[in-house]
Amino acid sequence: MSAAHTVRAAAELTDSPQPARRRRPRKVREKYSWRESLAGYLFISPWLIGFLTFTVISMTWSLVLSFTDYNLATGRQTPVGFENYALVVEDPKVVTSLLNTFVFVVLSVPLELVLAMVLALLLNNVRRGSGLFRTLLYLPKMTPAVATAAVFLLLLNGNDGAINAVLEFFGLPGPQWLSDPDWVKPSIVVMGLWGVGGSMVLLLAALRNVPRELQEAAAVDGAGSAARFFRITVPMISPTVFFVVVVNTIAALQVFDQAYLLFYRDGNSNAPDAALFYGVYLFQQAFQQFNFGLAAAMAWLLFVIILGITAVQMLVGNRTVHYEGGR
Amino acid sequence: MSQTPNHRTEQPRGPVAFSTALRGRRHRRVLAASVLGLSLLVAACNPAAQQAPAPAEEEGGIDFAAAPTGALAISGYNPSDDVAQARADHAESQLADVDIKLDTTSFDTQKFAAQAASGDVPDLIRADRNLIATLADQELIMPIDECYAAKGVQPREYFYPATIDDVTYDGAVYGVPEFFQPSALLVNTRVLDEAGVGLDEVSTADPAAMVSLAERLSEVDGGTPKRLGFDADLPGSAAMWMVLRGGKVQEADGRPALDSPENVATLTWMKELMDAQGGYPAIKSFKDSQDVFGEENPYSADEVAIGTWAQWYVNVLSDYAEDIELAAVPITDATGQPFAMAGGSAFAIPAAAANPAAACAWAVSVTSQEAWMAAGDARAATVEEEDAINTGLFTGSPVADQAVREAHVGDSGSEQFDQVISTYYDVLANPRTRGASAVGEQIGNDLENAVIVTLSDESTPEEALAEAQASSMRAWEQSRAGS
Repeated sequence: MSAAHTVRAAAELTDSPQPARRRRPRKVREKYSWRESLAGYLFISPWLIGFLTFTVISMTWSLVLSFTDYNLATGRQTPVGFENYALVVEDPKVVTSLLNTFVFVVLSVPLELVLAMVLALLLNNVRRGSGLFRTLLYLPKMTPAVATAAVFLLLLNGNDGAINAVLEFFGLPGPQWLSDPDWVKPSIVVMGLWGVGGSMVLLLAALRNVPRELQEAAAVDGAGSAARFFRITVPMISPTVFFVVVVNTIAALQVFDQAYLLFYRDGNSNAPDAALFYGVYLFQQAFQQFNFGLAAAMAWLLFVIILGITAVQMLVGNRTVHYEGGR
Repeated sequence: MSQTPNHRTEQPRGPVAFSTALRGRRHRRVLAASVLGLSLLVAACNPAAQQAPAPAEEEGGIDFAAAPTGALAISGYNPSDDVAQARADHAESQLADVDIKLDTTSFDTQKFAAQAASGDVPDLIRADRNLIATLADQELIMPIDECYAAKGVQPREYFYPATIDDVTYDGAVYGVPEFFQPSALLVNTRVLDEAGVGLDEVSTADPAAMVSLAERLSEVDGGTPKRLGFDADLPGSAAMWMVLRGGKVQEADGRPALDSPENVATLTWMKELMDAQGGYPAIKSFKDSQDVFGEENPYSADEVAIGTWAQWYVNVLSDYAEDIELAAVPITDATGQPFAMAGGSAFAIPAAAANPAAACAWAVSVTSQEAWMAAGDARAATVEEEDAINTGLFTGSPVADQAVREAHVGDSGSEQFDQVISTYYDVLANPRTRGASAVGEQIGNDLENAVIVTLSDESTPEEALAEAQASSMRAWEQSRAGS
């Protein structure tokens, strides 16, 4: 029993109106060892160096860049104040690309979550060969994006693609996935679902940690499978679901490679406006027009947007996510 | 009773004292040292803090006439076929004292930007001619008029003037061009015969007639194209069609000029043309599924009646001469004048190149008549070995084109291919160009995007071109030329 508990118990026993004086536990001051500190810092130095170089310095540098007109050849930076940010706000293509990105987030995040959940539930009930299925379903996540895009260019062809062939088999008309503006974003979502294995593995791990006794007790009490799922399973895995939603939202807001490989792979812009995502437009500004200041401003705007959306998600999550043992 | 703590007299003790101490002097020192260290690191990594690599010019000028020596790093040139290898061998033989290293990957602006930022650039780059003025505007490459003068080359005489226009920025020449492969109409005469259409009916002079002919020759099954009547190569050749119809995509100084009434009319024609054959989305999917380079190419499989193709595709089709029935028709303007508009690549010397003299010597050598003749010899040997058809080389230089043609391109044994090859050579008499612009690639991208959004029913031609113009103007105003 801790000292605090002992003091509280003693106060209750004496029934005294004066609360017992709590004695603060004496902190034993350990001798500072610079050798141990040095060793600790050395152990984490690879991460520290990487963090400083690729995150802190890069972000600081990009923030500086966003307030300048940067000439790549001479290294000359001319301070321009908030001009780059003003250009970002005034550019209608920024609005178009942001809207496209938001629509993609709204489509892709829930779909990936639902599909990952369905697959995780199925795998959770597989008795034999679950390891094999788990590996097979995770393998696409390991496939390089370029290879995936090459395959999906064939699969999504509106005339003779395999996906439309399947739809046709069921009597459904297949859309022009890659050339009809209305189907451009769904096509990228479909390609993104190829990598659903990552979310699935996380959810599967969470499902495996749901205590079987709870399910059994609920079943004994007459709860059906749907009730058990929504009243027990979902609350128990809600921290993982929340994590998956937050991480996938951030990834979707930064979408670049799928859109670039499907629609801008030859370096041109001969794609419908519906395929212009924020990350793609940022890349074009930096590496096709060499507007590094403007691109840096765009990057910071995206950072702020992601920060805001994540903050809202955290607020909602704190109210809805069930943490075992409370918070 | 509440008490106001006296911070002066009641110093916190224990853990509180520890944390206060951390917030105290020592913490401030650590914080100050961290900020200073971070600032130094940022400053050290800041390209602006680095001395810009001193161009050789500042050290007394570049002696382009001197015998080239030292190491030469070339980026973007890939001697992957007989023609490129023969030219590289010729250039290497001319630069005996130079240690040449080739980066054979295609020119990548992202990679080049990183190299430029670090000051470690190759000595010579090979990039699309569309990019040269942009790179010049960014001061990333140097003018090479002195290089031409030192090597005794009159660029506007040795090369097609159109190709030199493509690499001229602010009155100075920034590139050594290579290749000028014009487009013409490749006609599948088998399909035309089946439809009862004569070759004389194939003409680009009358836009409305082209739409009717396309509709007549195309085959659409349940909304899915099975054969294109007339493939205008959209959006890739959109600029060509606009110039052909009396429009222009940019002014002489490079300023964008996309939203003219002529261009609106041409884009409207493009929409009508595509809609007459099944619509752009379906046509795009159809073209994406075609076996362009294989046995089931669009002409062997009768998937196209009339196509717009640059000269290189004749070389591809020559492998299937037995399976196809082909004729070529020049693209002509409203007056019936043949019209040749093409892009290509060019060599350019980065402003921070360590060995610009050797770069100049290599670029001039690899595009010389001797180099192209060596390439022509190599191609002729390959053709003879494979019993194929020599379709010629379209080098970017009328001098080299003619020399190679006279030496190696004659009777191929295929009457139809002789006519096709001859047509492509004939259109070279009227070479045209879009011209150079500091935002040339952006203009091209905005134009293609306008075409796509119009063909996809996302916008009207007027709105799409107005938006494209606004986008290009934004880029123009941010460029050195436009500011």
